[in-house]
Amino acid sequence: MTLKLGIFYFLAAFTVWAAAVVVLGKNIVRAAVALIFCFCGMAALYVLLDAEFLAAVQVLIYVGGITILLLFAIMLTSRIGVTTARVVNDQVILSAIAAVGLLVGLIYASTSGIPAMSGPPRLPETAPFLGRALLTTYALPFEAVSVLLLAAMVGAIILARKE
Amino acid sequence: MDRPIPIGTTVVMERTGETMEEMYVNMGPQHPSTHGVLRLMLKLDGEYIIDCIPYIGYLHRCHEKIGENRNYTQIIPYTDRLDYLASMSMNFGYVLAVERLMGQKIPERAEYMRVILAELQRIASHLIWLGTFGLDLGNFTIFMYCFREREMILDLFESVTGQRLNYSFYRIGGMPMDFPETFLTDCQVFLEWFKPRLPEYDAIMTDNILFQKRVQGVGISPPQVAVDYGLSGPMLRACGIKWDLRRNDPYSIYDRFEFDIPVFETCDVWARYMVRRREMEESVKIVEQALAQLPPGEVMAKMPKTIKPPAGQIYSRAESPRGEIGFYIISDGSPKPYRYKVRSPAYVNLSALPEMLKGCLVADCVAVLGSVDIVLGEVDR
Amino acid sequence: MMTFASLVERFYAAMAAWGIPWIVPTLVVMVIVVSVVLAYISVAAMFMIWWERKISAHIQVRYGPMRVGGWHGWAQSIADGIKLLLKEDIIPAGADKVVFVLAPMVVFGATVAAYVTIPWAPGLIVRDLNIGILYMVSISSLVVVGIIMAGWSSNNKYATLGALRSAAQAVSYEVPLVLSLLGPVMIAGTMSMGKLVEAQSGRWFGILPGWFVFPQIVAFLIYFTCALAECNRLPFDIPEAESELVAGFHVEYSGMRFAMFFLAEYANMFVVSAIATTVFLGGWHGPWIPLPGLPREVAHGLFGLVWFQVKCYFLIFVMMWLRWTLARLRVDQLMAFAWKVLLPISFANLIVTGLVLVLGKQALLYVGGIVILLLVAILLAARPAARTVRVGERT
Repeated sequence: MTLKLGIFYFLAAFTVWAAAVVVLGKNIVRAAVALIFCFCGMAALYVLLDAEFLAAVQVLIYVGGITILLLFAIMLTSRIGVTTARVVNDQVILSAIAAVGLLVGLIYASTSGIPAMSGPPRLPETAPFLGRALLTTYALPFEAVSVLLLAAMVGAIILARKE
Repeated sequence: MDRPIPIGTTVVMERTGETMEEMYVNMGPQHPSTHGVLRLMLKLDGEYIIDCIPYIGYLHRCHEKIGENRNYTQIIPYTDRLDYLASMSMNFGYVLAVERLMGQKIPERAEYMRVILAELQRIASHLIWLGTFGLDLGNFTIFMYCFREREMILDLFESVTGQRLNYSFYRIGGMPMDFPETFLTDCQVFLEWFKPRLPEYDAIMTDNILFQKRVQGVGISPPQVAVDYGLSGPMLRACGIKWDLRRNDPYSIYDRFEFDIPVFETCDVWARYMVRRREMEESVKIVEQALAQLPPGEVMAKMPKTIKPPAGQIYSRAESPRGEIGFYIISDGSPKPYRYKVRSPAYVNLSALPEMLKGCLVADCVAVLGSVDIVLGEVDR
Repeated sequence: MMTFASLVERFYAAMAAWGIPWIVPTLVVMVIVVSVVLAYISVAAMFMIWWERKISAHIQVRYGPMRVGGWHGWAQSIADGIKLLLKEDIIPAGADKVVFVLAPMVVFGATVAAYVTIPWAPGLIVRDLNIGILYMVSISSLVVVGIIMAGWSSNNKYATLGALRSAAQAVSYEVPLVLSLLGPVMIAGTMSMGKLVEAQSGRWFGILPGWFVFPQIVAFLIYFTCALAECNRLPFDIPEAESELVAGFHVEYSGMRFAMFFLAEYANMFVVSAIATTVFLGGWHGPWIPLPGLPREVAHGLFGLVWFQVKCYFLIFVMMWLRWTLARLRVDQLMAFAWKVLLPISFANLIVTGLVLVLGKQALLYVGGIVILLLVAILLAARPAARTVRVGERT
């Protein structure tokens, strides 16, 4: 039991607990705050995988952008004090079957050594590698994503304007 | 508010559902920016103000009814407390009204003293306005600078009257006592100190792009609206209407002095700011001319022991720093007035606030309210 | 060699020689380092609070604190801290207790976490992460989350509005902030804070110190403006404005919880100044002389430490100076300024920097920066100053 493994177990447990609060919590705002912790836990797990650039970007984008957006949406559309949510909806049986099936599949995949589950390559610094890859090997998906973001922005502006 | 509301109607703001979009926000009565105990109920649509209802009366002290039970000299200290930031102007307006009713002439020296004190008071009142206006917009330093200058004026007043705020210095028939010997030199020293200060304030406020962006185009009151609501003073002169009682309906000896009436066309908060800023310069000119022309002589006319104006009525008006202060007195020949009414400029100016706030953002409310320059003492009486 | 890193290594080696498992010295070093950093933050924040009162006082023709502790009231901050500690801890009824208590912790924790990659002196960084700049920017975005939590959990309409406004402002100004930081990162070719400082050790044209502020003057000005907005300082302090309608996101906090927000604001000011100093003003570079009796590295380190502090506190002084001189911007003007003015200019700066680097003429960087600055200045100056606004027209 090395230190790294111990830290991994702790972080994994923390992330899973936070995710559980998100899914099972009755108070929406507390669920959003737990989501923040869940994202931070995931960022820490990225650091353990030597993907430090991705970890920083995870915090910057997910916590600093998406959760703020979620909190804005919650606060602008509900009244203070009325923040409960339904935890279980009508498709609970179907979703339970799907989730359990996915879990079984993942356990089988990780224990039978499917190549996609091998360890990450050892890189001294991920950021320059990612940058070069994005602009040479993966230039087309990069441009496609940027066009998609542009379309999303234009759509959001049109939807949000008051006529 | 499309039509004038008849007196006596209770105005009720209907709360038609309160989501985050259409909200009712209450400002005051305790609020750092309402300049006194004023309550503003704002109806907002998102960030824009749709309507505003001012609730006043928190400082009502039955001034006019008390006036009916006091003789004419005893009313003078009460007039101080009307607009406590411009007590000299309130006194001036009141004693002018009674003297006009009595047809009383007062000595020349007293006239000059009155003008000097009233114009110094105008500078002091505009300094407080400037300081608090800057403070509301987030500029803390101008507040300190303006109060430093106002302290000098208050020291001058203290040497003359013994008081720093509610002077009760004017009397029916003249002034109670003459200036002290040090007053003329002290006043000159103050004016020499004050003249370069105005360009200093310009550097902090007037020429600052942030300040300009906050106040330009905000709180518009078109000239027709201004005249309909009966606005006066700098509010009216900011709409391009050149109307100043010192020029258009001269009282006392104002026709002997050379001074400009600053007028601005744009009808917004910026125009009102510039009008008051320039008025300070003009007041300095008037004080200098008055000091130069000050004649020797008596300061109090021969007055009977009890002041009993002949039966009749009069509406007399003067130009206070906030606008037209009017006194309507009905006398029945007795030492106490039969009816004593005060037409307060801040009250009338405040009534146009809902009109000016329509379409403004919430953050502009503070700027517009500051530009009206209200003093609750005279709004509520 | 007597650098910080070599000291730590010698400590580890000594511990290992005594047979103590390696986890113990690691923890010991971590605890010591964290204590030193926290102690520095507390002392620096208290100093900055006293300094701000003194600066504001002297700008406003008065004296400020003069009595507490004797000379110019230097102990005023300590007295204020003790007072805040002793206040009653009030949690408003109906407030969400967990989130209410958590919010100041998140804000303060995020601010303190940014001190990890500040290069105090040559070789003196807690951890020179190779994503240094990116890490600091990401951690700063956590502060915004804390602010929203504080506003929401106060069960107060005005606090919520203030928090949302503050969050909108912070998020809007983060974008030009990050973009303006990318210019120097491109020139230096690294995101690590220590290496960024070392990349500024040369000279421009032989006379100017090799700081990045000279080619990237536009980026520096944009960064400084965005930093003011991130710290919620005037002219961007609508969320905390005392004299406006909405009283601010920390209106319901009192006592030590409020002190956390207060300390976090000043700590944040130091962090953004430290980033500006590192990236634009050459970090700990400055003239130094070898001192007798000390090894060269230690003397260099001491001078570097002093220069770093001088530059940081100079920038903090400018921030405080601006607060007491300028008026406040309105919320919509603030947002329009960020999105319509700062963002295009920072993009332009990024493009020009990238072009010049690719074309290989390093000296053009200097020229490019000046050109952009001149263009912006001309555009601003050509704007009519106090234009007559027609009746009914809104700026």
